[in-house]
Amino acid sequence: MSLDIDSHIRHSTRHIGRSVPRREDRGPLTGRGRYVADIKIAGMLEVVLVRSIEAHARIVSIDTSEALAMDGVQAVFTAADLADVKTFPDYIPYIGPVKQRPLVEDRVRYVGAPYAAVVAVDRYIAEDAAALVAAGTTYEPLPTVADLDQALAPGAPKLYDHWESNCSFDVAPHKPEVDHAFKQADHTFTETYVSQRQTGLPMETRGVVADITDGTLTVWSSTQSPHMVRSTIALMLDMPEPQVRVIHPTIGGGFGTKTHIYPEDIVVPWIARRLGRPARWIEDRMENLVASVHARDQRHTVEVAYDDDGTIRGVRCASMLDMGSGEIFMPGTAPVFVTNACITGGYDFENMEARTIGVVTNKTPAGAYRGFGIPEGAFVMERIIDRVARLTGTDRVDLRRRMLLRPEQKPYVMHGGGRLDSGSHSESFERALEMTAPALERARSRYADDPDVRVGVGYCNYVEPTSPSYHLTTGHWGGGDAATVRVDPDGSVRVAAGLSEIGQGNTTAAAQLAADMLGVSPDDVTVVLGDTERAPYGLGSWGSRGAMMLTGSVLLASERLVDKARAIAAHMLEAAEADVVLTDGAFHVAGSDQPSVSWAEVGTAAWIRYVDLPDGMEPGLETSGYYHPENLQHQLDDTGKINAAASWSNGTHIGVVSVRVSTGEVRIEDYLVVHDCGTVINPALVEGQVHGGVAQGIAGAMYEHFQYDPDTANPRFASFMDYLVPTCAEVPPMELDHFESPAPEQPLGVKGCGEGGTVGPPAVVAGAVSDALSQWGVDLTECPVTPVAVRAAIRAAGTAGAGAGS
Amino acid sequence: MTISEPISEVDVEVTVNGQPQRHRVPARLLLSDYIRDTVGLTGTHLGCEHGYCGACTVIVDGDAVRSCLMLAAQVDGAEVRTVEDLAPAGADSLSPMQQAFHDNHALQCGFCTAGFLMTLESVDPTEWNEPERVVELLSGNLCRCTGYQNIVTAVTEAWSAYDGSGGSDDG
Repeated sequence: MSLDIDSHIRHSTRHIGRSVPRREDRGPLTGRGRYVADIKIAGMLEVVLVRSIEAHARIVSIDTSEALAMDGVQAVFTAADLADVKTFPDYIPYIGPVKQRPLVEDRVRYVGAPYAAVVAVDRYIAEDAAALVAAGTTYEPLPTVADLDQALAPGAPKLYDHWESNCSFDVAPHKPEVDHAFKQADHTFTETYVSQRQTGLPMETRGVVADITDGTLTVWSSTQSPHMVRSTIALMLDMPEPQVRVIHPTIGGGFGTKTHIYPEDIVVPWIARRLGRPARWIEDRMENLVASVHARDQRHTVEVAYDDDGTIRGVRCASMLDMGSGEIFMPGTAPVFVTNACITGGYDFENMEARTIGVVTNKTPAGAYRGFGIPEGAFVMERIIDRVARLTGTDRVDLRRRMLLRPEQKPYVMHGGGRLDSGSHSESFERALEMTAPALERARSRYADDPDVRVGVGYCNYVEPTSPSYHLTTGHWGGGDAATVRVDPDGSVRVAAGLSEIGQGNTTAAAQLAADMLGVSPDDVTVVLGDTERAPYGLGSWGSRGAMMLTGSVLLASERLVDKARAIAAHMLEAAEADVVLTDGAFHVAGSDQPSVSWAEVGTAAWIRYVDLPDGMEPGLETSGYYHPENLQHQLDDTGKINAAASWSNGTHIGVVSVRVSTGEVRIEDYLVVHDCGTVINPALVEGQVHGGVAQGIAGAMYEHFQYDPDTANPRFASFMDYLVPTCAEVPPMELDHFESPAPEQPLGVKGCGEGGTVGPPAVVAGAVSDALSQWGVDLTECPVTPVAVRAAIRAAGTAGAGAGS
Repeated sequence: MTISEPISEVDVEVTVNGQPQRHRVPARLLLSDYIRDTVGLTGTHLGCEHGYCGACTVIVDGDAVRSCLMLAAQVDGAEVRTVEDLAPAGADSLSPMQQAFHDNHALQCGFCTAGFLMTLESVDPTEWNEPERVVELLSGNLCRCTGYQNIVTAVTEAWSAYDGSGGSDDG
């Protein structure tokens, strides 16, 4: 399939590629957005979950009598009450089954695990009652494991008695060619790189409202994937899917945390059904920090084989994911596989042997966070390159140049099977270097007279898998998406898609796409997303898939619609179908000055005036398209490889930092981004994704870190006072540039851009600070790069010297 | 804490967005919940309920406050303004700052936006329109989507008419 964008564009003022203003803005700007917490239904009850204060314990008893005696308390439910609810499915065969119940039955495995639900007439009373239930709970504490080492120690306490150990999975492919590389290489070194525990942290916490009327359960959930929530509720509550409607109203960000289907998505609908009254649960922030998934908690043990000239011959990497308790649906296991699949970034490097291990601990379950394993891998690769450059006296930039994929190498198959069909891997790096030169000059001159400040540069060349398969992640769902396009009798267009709008601007983008494909103005297009009753089945917004899935599904549906409309118009024009063209909303005979037929005339004929239809034509003007990308694979092939993403965007991040040696303070002076997500639908939206992604990446590189007490596995964080989210004072200005390398086998060449921004900063900041402090031999191996960490690194390097090769 | 005692109630008379309100509310009712649930203005959002994120910022007697850190009882006799009060009433238009946010893609999910707008509304632009001052002013509001750059740009643009000498008054 060759790319033929123009044949699908039927508007002379093309909207694709323009920063069409967002239609999502007005509600939030004027205070008239409608988030889950804004929904109020007459007679609605408030639900508060009671959560474990122990990291690992048996629940001996729960005394609910005092809570039930309170005025305004309607009910207190525990696991026994939900006996008729099915267990969350364990769909993935190769990971340890956790058999998760919506409410914990008898054994809690992390602080924050929900084991009771209090229902009251208002939130204040429900909170009071929940405190009484908590006080009435008797635990029998069990020994805890707070980290990977504790969990894997011989004789370690097990989270799941029916498992052999706390290891959930261990996938260890063997590559003889890597063994060979190690034998041939001049040198080797080993190192351990650590990525710390963080979370997506949308400003809107999670929430669920449920109401059952006339046998239909309606659920408003702050989810990124309404159809998946519907299927899971129907399964677990044993209801027919058509009797479950899931809506996401305005969503206050997701960043992956809202892709999971949580206990509350099941418990609150169950309560509404049981009590016959609407029920609402809104997560508070302190709950959110322990009860919404964490991420990025990985450790990478690497062996690197390299030559005197800096050539990296082979790498063995054991990537180990701390899954927390693992009690989350879908499981949080996939990111570490993505880490290994993407670890070689934009580099031509096949001699990678990557082992993937998942381990459970007594911490909040790990799951998805924007980036989904990619930043962790990029960090490892870039730190390896810098280390080899330093050990061999090779220039860091030249070494990267030597390794980066060149245009003639594409399509290129990565070590794990990822297929880089196109991209600007070398070009982005070169462009970013050009942008860096003046920034570096500025920083050097700014601190020329300050001997306490050192300036450094850090690099990251990454790839971003877009529109991935969900099969390896969920063990169940695939990776396509549907859209329905309809033209009404008045000529107005309605697009409904299974995609979600969680802040990115997908509603605006869908309108742009349909406008160009149908030759109308975006203002004539109504877009419906995030409602299982009004939109066809889709998997929602995650995995940088919105742009490509909307493009593919809207295009398929639009082409079918135009075909039918053209036949109707040809009949009305008394012309041959082949002679009729659609331009700017008018069907006319090519090259003729005969009057044209409008969408309204065609729509009226199709729905109302059947007398204007060709003989035998089925009335109606609504078509659907289910898009499944050509190259997307859902299962490993015979060689253990998989291209689990429909396309791969790419980019380069470079940061210039200053480091105050005496205090360890790091300041990002300039942050340069060159990225390439194929054809751009709306440049402003893409830039917004990059800005926000980079800010989250910087949060991980320098600030955010969930820490646990090693002896008790108790969280050492409870609020924003402990979990440091960057403000505008911490996020530096960013300079952006773009390449557009269209994906050759995707409709319009669109790839996707949601996650790439998060990928670079950890590698960039650690690389830049290490560069700035190279005279002390500092070579950072983990984030966050805090002042404390910088000072510790200076002291340690000063006494031990640089990590030397063998 | 003795939570089984009867909850005392208080009378609150307050002007919200120019409209007089009179309610008998629980003494412990937060101002944020009063605005959202009692008065019914849900444009004020709760991002943390511990006074850190700034999403719930409203204006009480001219000052920006975090409504999750005040009790409804404390605004008795006060004038409260919320995000719903910013756009010209009845019109389809936006305030200059709202428009600048829209024009500069300064919001994505929009959950934090009301807090930013109310923080900005509470100050005299002539004292805050230098870029460093804008950053200082906004550093009490968390945004997770935008990376802040477009927000700062929007504010700078909306306040570009202010030259620091109080020359303009249409902000």
